[in-house]
Amino acid sequence: MRPGEAVLFPVRAVGRAFTDIAFQAGGILILALGIARRFFPPDIDVRELKRHLFSMGNRSVMVVAFSCFFVGVTMVVQATILVQELGAYSLVGWGSAYVVLRELGPVFVALMFSGRVGANNTADLATMVITEQVDGLRALGIDPISFLIVPRVIAMVVMCFILTIIGDAVALGGSAIMADTMLDIDIHVFWKGVHDFIKFKDMWLGLEKSVAFGSIIAMSSCFYGLNVEGGAPGVGRAVNASVVSSAVGIFIADYIMAFMLG
Amino acid sequence: MSASIPNVIEMEGVSKRFGTVQALLDVTLGVPEGCFHGLVGPGASGKSVLVRLAAGLYRPDSGSIRVLGEDIVRLGQVEQQRVRSRIGMLFQGTALFDYMTVGENVAFPLRRLTDMPEQEIRDRVSERLARVGLAGFEERDPGSLSGGQRKRVGIARATIAHQPLIIYDDPTAGLDPVTASKIFEILREEQLAAGATVLAVSSDVDSLVKYVDRIALVERGAMRYHGPLEEAYRASDPFVSAFLRGEWRAA
Repeated sequence: MRPGEAVLFPVRAVGRAFTDIAFQAGGILILALGIARRFFPPDIDVRELKRHLFSMGNRSVMVVAFSCFFVGVTMVVQATILVQELGAYSLVGWGSAYVVLRELGPVFVALMFSGRVGANNTADLATMVITEQVDGLRALGIDPISFLIVPRVIAMVVMCFILTIIGDAVALGGSAIMADTMLDIDIHVFWKGVHDFIKFKDMWLGLEKSVAFGSIIAMSSCFYGLNVEGGAPGVGRAVNASVVSSAVGIFIADYIMAFMLG
Repeated sequence: MSASIPNVIEMEGVSKRFGTVQALLDVTLGVPEGCFHGLVGPGASGKSVLVRLAAGLYRPDSGSIRVLGEDIVRLGQVEQQRVRSRIGMLFQGTALFDYMTVGENVAFPLRRLTDMPEQEIRDRVSERLARVGLAGFEERDPGSLSGGQRKRVGIARATIAHQPLIIYDDPTAGLDPVTASKIFEILREEQLAAGATVLAVSSDVDSLVKYVDRIALVERGAMRYHGPLEEAYRASDPFVSAFLRGEWRAA
């Protein structure tokens, strides 16, 4: 490497990273506008929507429930020493619910959903692009955005919302069981803590986040799936890019929403 | 072909570039109504790009393309979709939807594009599948079929809506010569029975020339010949007759 190139190398790398991000952000924005346009008037394939709602929910519900149970359980395990030292037994229910409903539940479910459904969606769409199935739709005069993308986006947003409710409930159930087992906190005391201190706003904030996270996963997974390049190896790269950008998007959105919505 | 027969596909001065690659340059082609038109050429000569332009899947950089009497380059998205719905197309890889059964794949254009009653759709699907030698395959998974069978399902789907124009992009790619010949026979029978106009791309020149009325030859993105098949063998361009006789070899 010549001396001049050594200086330019990081500049080029930063420039390339910026143009890549701009291309991806712009592409996702254009896709989002294209999807929004299909709602005026509504042009949604109901049969496809039902199929995706079922398959996405069915595919994720067990893994989300299983993972969230351990989130709830682990939270109480981590808090045990502190609770015993402070004697704050009545606050365990409140503490668990506050963290699960506002933060851990939606974020954890979204990350699981992204890995499970988002990755699968990207691979599915990328394979359809590579095997000319998307061109096949266009050749038949069928709009791929209406037929392929809109039902998937709706299904992902709806299922992320529903799975967050299920995940929150299971995580709280896990916390309650663990609190009873490790700290000998009666289940009624646990629920009293939840009932007395948790406001509807706490739960609603988490559910608002789940809608935002579901949208991020849907847009990211569809964008990378539709823009796959390079044949079969490109499918792997598209899935990787989709999962990484979804995770980054989820954390950024979480930070922004925590600030804006309290 | 007589001048009184209108062209279903009419391209004039069409060019298309992808990055630094000039895929097509100043191509002119006419496909008369009711004709079985072949399109041949060496590998990577621009054949698939040309049929995708004809199907409205690509936009040319310059030139005009009229398909079924409409200037598809100037049409808006919705109007383009309307024109495309009148074109049946079989892709090289068949483009069958993996999550649908064979029957659902074949029925797809009718279910999406028409208000045909369900029983009539099922009857039509059975008739189409029988026509391509796959009677009783309705419930089969496309993944369980051989390459030749997948092509036949693709043909059944491309022809089920009785579109006036059918485009086949290398329908015999990857098939053995016997199966390839059988596929071309089916295409020709279908075309004669329906009276549709067919544009078929193929790398298998020997098989294709047995069935076509007219032929076009592209090489490195340029149209070297287009016209009646019998005249192609007497074309002034020696490359054309050499290619059709299989005497041409890539450098």
